[in-house]
Amino acid sequence: MNKYAERIYNGVVKENPSLILMLGMCPTLAVTTSAVNGIGMGLSTLAVLIFSNLIISFMRKIIPDQVRLPAYIVIVASLVTVVDLLLQAYAPDLYAALGIYIPLIVVNCIILGRAEAYANKVEPGLALFDGLGMGLGFTIALTLIGMIRELLGSGKLFGFSILPDSVSPIAIFVKAPGAFLVIALIIAVMNALHIKNNSADLVKGCDGCCNHCSKSGCQNEYKEDKPV
Amino acid sequence: MNEKLLNMSSSPHVRHRLTTGAVMTDVTLALLPAAVFGIYRYGIHAFLILLISVASAVVTEFLYDMAAKKPLTIKDGSAVVTGLLLGLSLSPAVPLYLPCLGSVFAILFVKCFFGGLGKNFMNPALTGRCFLLISFGSAMTNFSVDGVSSATPLAALRAGEAVNLSQTVLGYTTGVIGGSAIALLIGGIFLLITGGITFEIPAAFIASFAVFMGLFGDQGFDPSSLLLHICGGGVLMGAFFMATDPVTSPVTSRGQLLYGAVTGILSGLFRVYGSSADSVSYAIIIANMTVPFIDKISVPKPLGYRSISGKPQFPKAAVNLTIITLCAGLALSSVYLLTKDKIEEQKLAANAASYKEVCPDVESFVSDDAINTKIEALGDGIYDEKFGKTFINNVVVGKDAADTTVGYVISVSSGDGYDGTITLSVGLDTEGTVLGISFTELHETAGMGMLCGEDAFRSQFTGVNTDAFILNKAGGSTADNEIDSVSGASTSSGAVVNAVNTALAFYASSIR
Amino acid sequence: MNTSLLLIIITTALVNNVVLSQFLGICSFLGVSKQIKTSLSLGVAVIFVITLSSGVASLLYDFLLVPLHLEYLETIVFILVIAALVQIVEMFLKKTSPAIYNALGIYLPLITTNCAVLGVALTNVQDGYNFIQSVTAGFGTAVGYTISIVLLAGIRERIDEASVPLPFRGAPVVLLSAALMSIAFMGFAGLSL
Repeated sequence: MNKYAERIYNGVVKENPSLILMLGMCPTLAVTTSAVNGIGMGLSTLAVLIFSNLIISFMRKIIPDQVRLPAYIVIVASLVTVVDLLLQAYAPDLYAALGIYIPLIVVNCIILGRAEAYANKVEPGLALFDGLGMGLGFTIALTLIGMIRELLGSGKLFGFSILPDSVSPIAIFVKAPGAFLVIALIIAVMNALHIKNNSADLVKGCDGCCNHCSKSGCQNEYKEDKPV
Repeated sequence: MNEKLLNMSSSPHVRHRLTTGAVMTDVTLALLPAAVFGIYRYGIHAFLILLISVASAVVTEFLYDMAAKKPLTIKDGSAVVTGLLLGLSLSPAVPLYLPCLGSVFAILFVKCFFGGLGKNFMNPALTGRCFLLISFGSAMTNFSVDGVSSATPLAALRAGEAVNLSQTVLGYTTGVIGGSAIALLIGGIFLLITGGITFEIPAAFIASFAVFMGLFGDQGFDPSSLLLHICGGGVLMGAFFMATDPVTSPVTSRGQLLYGAVTGILSGLFRVYGSSADSVSYAIIIANMTVPFIDKISVPKPLGYRSISGKPQFPKAAVNLTIITLCAGLALSSVYLLTKDKIEEQKLAANAASYKEVCPDVESFVSDDAINTKIEALGDGIYDEKFGKTFINNVVVGKDAADTTVGYVISVSSGDGYDGTITLSVGLDTEGTVLGISFTELHETAGMGMLCGEDAFRSQFTGVNTDAFILNKAGGSTADNEIDSVSGASTSSGAVVNAVNTALAFYASSIR
Repeated sequence: MNTSLLLIIITTALVNNVVLSQFLGICSFLGVSKQIKTSLSLGVAVIFVITLSSGVASLLYDFLLVPLHLEYLETIVFILVIAALVQIVEMFLKKTSPAIYNALGIYLPLITTNCAVLGVALTNVQDGYNFIQSVTAGFGTAVGYTISIVLLAGIRERIDEASVPLPFRGAPVVLLSAALMSIAFMGFAGLSL
C-alpha cells in the first residue's frame, strides 16, 4: 500500500482516534446525540486536523522546541476560530447545534496529540494524509455512535423516523447517562472481541505524570526532548 | 435462625457482608401485604406488572450467570426482591415492557456488570426506576386507572386541594402499585422484628424528612399534612425497603444514622424545591454515592513527592512565538473581514424569515424609536425575576402597504433552556393577540426539548389574547392560556412559556 | 449572600454538572479518579485555576475584546490566558510553597488541556455574565467538578476488579459508574430554590 493510503487506513481502522486510541472523549460523549451532529463535529475536526498537521509539519524546523506546546495551541486555536466563523456564515444550523463544542476542538487531544506524536516529525505530505485519516476515523466513529444513540433514544436516524409510533424509544440514550452507557458498552464489546484498544490508559492511575494527549510521558521529560 | 446482620466493627471495610437467602425470604414476605393489596385494588394488570418485573429480573440474572459461567445466584432470592421492589414502585397503568426493561437494566447494569451480589454501589431497584423515569417520562407519570386519571395525593396537596387522609393511609388513592401505607408499615415492622433490618436507617430517614418538611414545606408542622407526606411519594417504601439495602448502606450504626439523615434531608429538599414527585428515588441513589465516605473515617495520608526540574529561560524562543502569534492574528483578521458580511446576512435572513412567519400580511418591518428607547432602558439585565433569565432583544413593527401598523414582532431570549439559550420571535397583532411564535435559536435535546419547535407545540400560542400563559406539565389543558408541556421536556417548555410571557409583559407596559 | 449568586453556584455545581451533564473535563475525570486523595488534590487545583481564569477571561472579554470588536478572538485569547495562568501559578507555587506545589502543582499542567476550563470561560460569555457572576459560575463549576471526581473515586475504591466480568474491567466499568452517577444527578434537574 502506498504510504499515503497507509495513513488513511491507519487513521480509520488501525489507530482510530476514538475507538482505538480513546482520544477526544469529551466531544465523543457530548455531540453524539444524533448522527448528523456526529458528522458535523467530525468534519469540523477533520478540517482543523488536516490544516494543523500540514502547518505544523511545514514549520517543524522553525518552531523552537521549548515553546512547542504554546505554538501548537496558537496555530490550532486560529484554525478553530476560522472554522467557527465559516460555520457561522455558511452552515448556521450546524453551528447552532454544535455550540461551544466547536471552540473546544482546540483542546481536543487528537489534534495536539497528532501534532506532537507525528506531524512534527514527518514531511508535509504524510502529515496531511495522517490528518485526513485520523479525521475520517473520528468522523466515522462519531457518526456510528450518533446513529446508535439517535435510533435507540429517539427512534430516528438522520432525522427520519424509523420506529413505528407504537414503539416508544428509550429516551435515556439521547441524554447524558446514555452517552456514558453507549461508550461503556462499545468498549466492553471490543474487549470481548479482543480488539486491542487504549481504554486502559483512559482510567490508569495518575500521579501527575499523565500527558494523555501526546503519550510522551511526563511533562518534564517532554520538555527536554530534542527534535528529530 | 438468621445471622445478625449488624456488624459493629469500625470502618473502613473492603466489602460488605453477603446477605443470606433467609433474609431475602423475609423481605419478600414483608412486601407481600403491599403486593396483595395492590393486586386487589388495581387488578390483573398490576399482577402482570409484578410478575413480569420479578420474572425479568430472575431470568436476566440466570442468563447472565450461564453466559459468564458463574455459579447460579438466583437461589439467594435477591433478584426476586429487586424485581418485586421495582414492580411495586411502578404505576399500575404502565405498559408491560417497562417493568421488563427496568428489571433487565437493574440486574445487568447496576449489579451483574459490577460483579454481582454485594458488589453494586447503587440500589438496583431504584436505579432501574430512575432509568425508566428518564427514558419513559410520560408513561411513568401516568396514573390513570381504567382511563380515569386523577391526581396523586401529593399533587393534590401541592395544588392546595383537600385530601382524605384515612383513604390515603389505607391505600385507596391514586398512586403506585405498592402504595398502601398501612401494608408497607406492617411489612416494615415485620422486618424489624425478625431482624432483617435495623431501626437506625428508617428512623433517621423518617425523622429528618419530617423535620425538613416541617421547617421548609408549605404546610409547616401541620400533623395531617406531614402524615400525608410520609405516607406518599415512596417515603415508607424507601425508608424500610430501599435505603436499608445492606449492600448500599453504611456498615456501622452511627454511619447508618447519618445516612438515614442524609437521605431524609435530600428527600425533603427534592420534595419541596424539586419539580417532580419523585423525590425519594433520586435522594436514595444520591445518598448511595456518599456511603464510601460515611464508611471511611480516614486520615489524609502524606502526599507523594516529585522532584521537579527547573524551567528553562527562553528569550529567543519568546520572540519566535510572538512572530507566530502575529501572523496568526493577521490571518484571522482577514478571514473575519471576509466572512463578516455573510454572517450579518445570515442573521438578518434568519430574522426576516422568522418575522414573516409570525406576522403575515405585512409589507415591511420597521423599527420604532420610541420602543427602541424603552428596550435600551431595560439595560443588560433580565426582564423580571419571575420569568427567570429572559431578555428582550428587539422589537420591529409590521406595516402593511398603506403604512398602517398591523402588528409587532418581539424577539425574546431565555437562558433557562435545558441545553442553552432559546431565542424566539413572538408575533402580536394590534390588540395583543398572539399571531404565532417562531424560534431563531433552539438547541435543546433532540426528540425532547427540540419538539418545542414543532407546530404541535407552537400552535398552542396562536390566536390567544392573554396577559400570561401558564405551563401545564401534566397535559390536558383546557383554558386558552394553558400550554401543554412537551412530554419529558418541562424545562424547555417552561423556558419558552416564560419567554412568551416576557414579550407579553413588555407589550403591555411599553407598546400598547 | 445574593440569592441569584447562590442559585448560580447550585446550578453550575449540581444541576448542570460540568462532567456528568456537559461532558467537559472527561479525560482527567476518568484518569485521576482512581484514588480519593489524588482526586481531592486535583479538585482543589481545578477550583483555583477555573475561578481565577473565569475572572480574568471575563475582564479581558468585557474590557478588551468587546470595545475593540474583537469578540471573534475569544477562543484564542482565552486558551492563551489559561495556559499562561497555569504556568504563572505553577512557578509561583514552586517558589513560595514547595509543600503545596508537591501536593497540587503536579496536576496543573493537566488543567491547561482540560476542556472544562475553556468551556466555562466560553459559557460565561454565552450566558452574558458580568465579572462577579463569571467568577461565581467558575467557582460553582469547579466545585461541581470536584464533587463528581471525588464521588467517582469513592466508588472506584470500592469496585472489586476481580469480580467485574472480563470485558468490563478497566474503562467500561468506570464509564458505567459515571453513567449511574449521571442518572443520580438528574435528580437535581428542575430544582428551583
